[in-house]
Amino acid sequence: MPDDKKAELIVSRQVLSIPQRFATGPIMGRFLAELLDNRRIMAVRAPGSRCLLPPREVDAVTMQEAVEWVEVGPEGTIRDFDVVYYASPDPLTGETRDVPYIICWVDLDGAGEGAPLWHLLDAPDPGKVRCGMRVRAVFNDERCGCMEDIRHFEIIEET
Amino acid sequence: MTSRVAICAVAQTKYEADKWDVRMQGMVWEVVKQVRAQTGLDFGDDGIEAAVTVSDDVFDARTISDSAVTDVVGAHFRGEEKVASDGAQGVYYAVATILSGKHDVVLLAGHCKESQAASRNMVTHLAFDPFFTRPVGLDYLAAAALQADAYMRKTGVTEDQLADVVVRSRQWAAKNPVARDATPLTRDDVLASPMLADPIRESFMYPITDGAVAMILASEERARDITDRPVWVTGLGNCYDSFFLGERDLAGNFALERAAARAYCMAGIKNPVTAFDVVELCDQCAHQMPQWAEGLGLCAAGGGAVWLAEGGPDCHSVNRSGGMLAGNPLMLGGMARVAEAVLQLRGDAGARQAQGAKRALAHGCCGPAGQLQVAVVLEA
Amino acid sequence: MKRKRRNVAVIGSGMSHFSSHREEVNQPEMIHEAVVEALDDAGMTLDEVDCVLHGNMELFEMVHQPDMWHAIASGVWGKSGLRLTTGGTTGITLACAADNLVASGLHDVVLAIGFEKLQEGHTTGGITNMADPLWGRSIQTGALTGTTAQAVIDEFGEERAKHAAMKMRIIMDEHAMLNEKAHRRLGLDRQFIKEMADNSPPLVGELRMLHMCSQSDGACAVVFASEEKAEALGAAPAWVVDHETVHREETLMFSPEKTTMRVAAERMFTRNGITDPRRDIDVFEMYDPSAWWGLDWLREFLLLEGDEHLKMVENDEIRIDGAFPLNPSGGVQASNPIGATALVRVAEAAMQVRGVAGGHQVPKPVRRALASGFGGTLWTVLMLLSREKPVLGGHCDA
Repeated sequence: MPDDKKAELIVSRQVLSIPQRFATGPIMGRFLAELLDNRRIMAVRAPGSRCLLPPREVDAVTMQEAVEWVEVGPEGTIRDFDVVYYASPDPLTGETRDVPYIICWVDLDGAGEGAPLWHLLDAPDPGKVRCGMRVRAVFNDERCGCMEDIRHFEIIEET
Repeated sequence: MTSRVAICAVAQTKYEADKWDVRMQGMVWEVVKQVRAQTGLDFGDDGIEAAVTVSDDVFDARTISDSAVTDVVGAHFRGEEKVASDGAQGVYYAVATILSGKHDVVLLAGHCKESQAASRNMVTHLAFDPFFTRPVGLDYLAAAALQADAYMRKTGVTEDQLADVVVRSRQWAAKNPVARDATPLTRDDVLASPMLADPIRESFMYPITDGAVAMILASEERARDITDRPVWVTGLGNCYDSFFLGERDLAGNFALERAAARAYCMAGIKNPVTAFDVVELCDQCAHQMPQWAEGLGLCAAGGGAVWLAEGGPDCHSVNRSGGMLAGNPLMLGGMARVAEAVLQLRGDAGARQAQGAKRALAHGCCGPAGQLQVAVVLEA
Repeated sequence: MKRKRRNVAVIGSGMSHFSSHREEVNQPEMIHEAVVEALDDAGMTLDEVDCVLHGNMELFEMVHQPDMWHAIASGVWGKSGLRLTTGGTTGITLACAADNLVASGLHDVVLAIGFEKLQEGHTTGGITNMADPLWGRSIQTGALTGTTAQAVIDEFGEERAKHAAMKMRIIMDEHAMLNEKAHRRLGLDRQFIKEMADNSPPLVGELRMLHMCSQSDGACAVVFASEEKAEALGAAPAWVVDHETVHREETLMFSPEKTTMRVAAERMFTRNGITDPRRDIDVFEMYDPSAWWGLDWLREFLLLEGDEHLKMVENDEIRIDGAFPLNPSGGVQASNPIGATALVRVAEAAMQVRGVAGGHQVPKPVRRALASGFGGTLWTVLMLLSREKPVLGGHCDA
């Protein structure tokens, strides 16, 4: 179709959404309740296996149920990070975040190396963030039992 | 290479209105655990080699819904393929992966939580095209109502007869420990239930349901090692009708007749009226019990009213599970039918057992007013 | 020992026009373009098709069970059909399913259709919806990550790594310029490698706009047939030798010793007697969502060590006329209608084997071609195609 004809075509613009109510179950449910009530980060593991963080029902490697709870963090070490410059809308709210922002994977103290927690990192100068830096979780005062009860991680300044 | 495929184990969660206390992963793990316990199989080259899953991104509100269950179906560093359709299509595909020679033992696992979305009708509304049929307000309930109206006018099936289909469903559901809704109803109760979309009353429509189903399928050689009661999948067929409801004979069975003919041809069945000891058909809505019975050849085309009047459902042992009307989630309607057929053929159906059942027919459907139809023949 | 029941061949393929904006067609119309071309290419009519497979990702266009609506154009009316979706790998999962369904004896001719109309929704938002709503959805940024770029930079030094990634991007673009179906044909000039590597707008870390694949509207259809049917049609087909699917759990950063790419390749090569993939495979259509991933995964898929993969790029070995042509179509960096993308890899690999790739046909003889799919949480699917008909019974699991 020639371009001048294309310009005359009608495009139907619609916003489609369906409100959801996600179950959290006994494992994620407790993880979120611990954030809400105790500002505590809890991981699970199958006996003798790696920690799972965020906690999940089953260890995919051993196919054993994760039944042991372990308190981890709130401090840890940056395993890896992404500095995001692309202004992607938050699919939950439709709002576009300010860029740049930093996504990090943190090996929380006590969680071992198989379960880095994925979260946001607040750092004044993204150019100075390095793998191996020590960080700590910053909790919101007002919490609701969700992942965002951890507002972000922040870098622990060396003394 | 195998010449036939068996279902060696089945497990279903209890079907419930709202499994608010468990994630979808938890539902799937519950049934995967059960089929592993039934077979003693582990994951790996000598056990369960790969998984076929059944789920739906819109119901799950999750892009790539199967990525949520990779761990609980044992697919970490193994194969998994997702059928995004009625679970009977999952059976069809799992059988193909074994008949082809690709795999010997496959886990089939499906899940669906209809309660998660604010409205099931908002989900199925999205199955309609954005230009012509969404603006009219169609969803699967409205499509089923148009079909029910056309079918009742064509065949003379009455509202009383449909009410009796619901009453009967609840009576059988009371004997099925996994059934969602076994509350006894009288004909008057059904006829007093609110009108959802004329002529479909609330009790005529399958209720909002959550649940999960798992099965183990295996090649003939492996099946005999795994179980002494394999159930053979001897016939498979499916067929799509056209999309626009106005282009279809809504009171007919274009797709189902073809799906059934394909399954019967493969299974060598000449006369479906007498071929089956047990039939499980996917009655999402009460009028579909006689309509699908016509399509499956249990009675003459257009003969649904007479079939009901003459006690057809009992003569053909149809839906001793309670059927879809007693409650299964949309994506698992046909898969729950296959699961019940397997229980019947293994003699594991408890108080609802059809004595000595040797051959069963399971039916699944999805899309608006049964646009896609699936027939599965199973034999002990 | 496993044996494939019967041989399966790719006998035709078709693709719609790929573009970022296909407002002039709706979804079924776009699919129909690919279906018509595939049937023409196969030299058959719709009557000869037994079964139609359909796949994409529903939340990109917000259509539930789109196989229903698309029945008006896919050709499935009155036929058997199946809808399968596995994320980015959807297209090649459809190819694997078509192979299984024909090999099983259930069907003789299967038409596989993958499509996406990314312009009708928000692509990065749609991908982000794959993250768990309880812990990942507020953090993930679609399929964008700079961690691979950083790892390559850490291993090989900034200058060499950035040069190699942009060289990869330019070679892909040079290939796209030969393929009239490709969406992005930019005409990138090699003499400005450094400027492009430094100045292309950054997305995430050192992953820059130029490195990343496009967002495309498009559909692909491929016809798979039994040996009997394929040989009756006369023309030399591309035979499906084998396929392998390797998934992994949903958390991205638990790092097992090996990637799914390497594991899939090891299994595929062991089963099929491939000891030196660069010698034994003549062309590779890789699902390369970005130049950095394409570069890094070259080492994984070819089971290389050290900097062999960088040298292949630096020495132009991966060019269409090089020793190991990679993505003569231009690959995913040029065109990415996601639900179709992995099926396009299979279609392109089959076209090379059949010798019908036209302007982007590899000049050397193509006996064996490999296609890969990428999706989910770093999942891999591989399919191997050959000009020579596989000997049944010779295929066994390791």
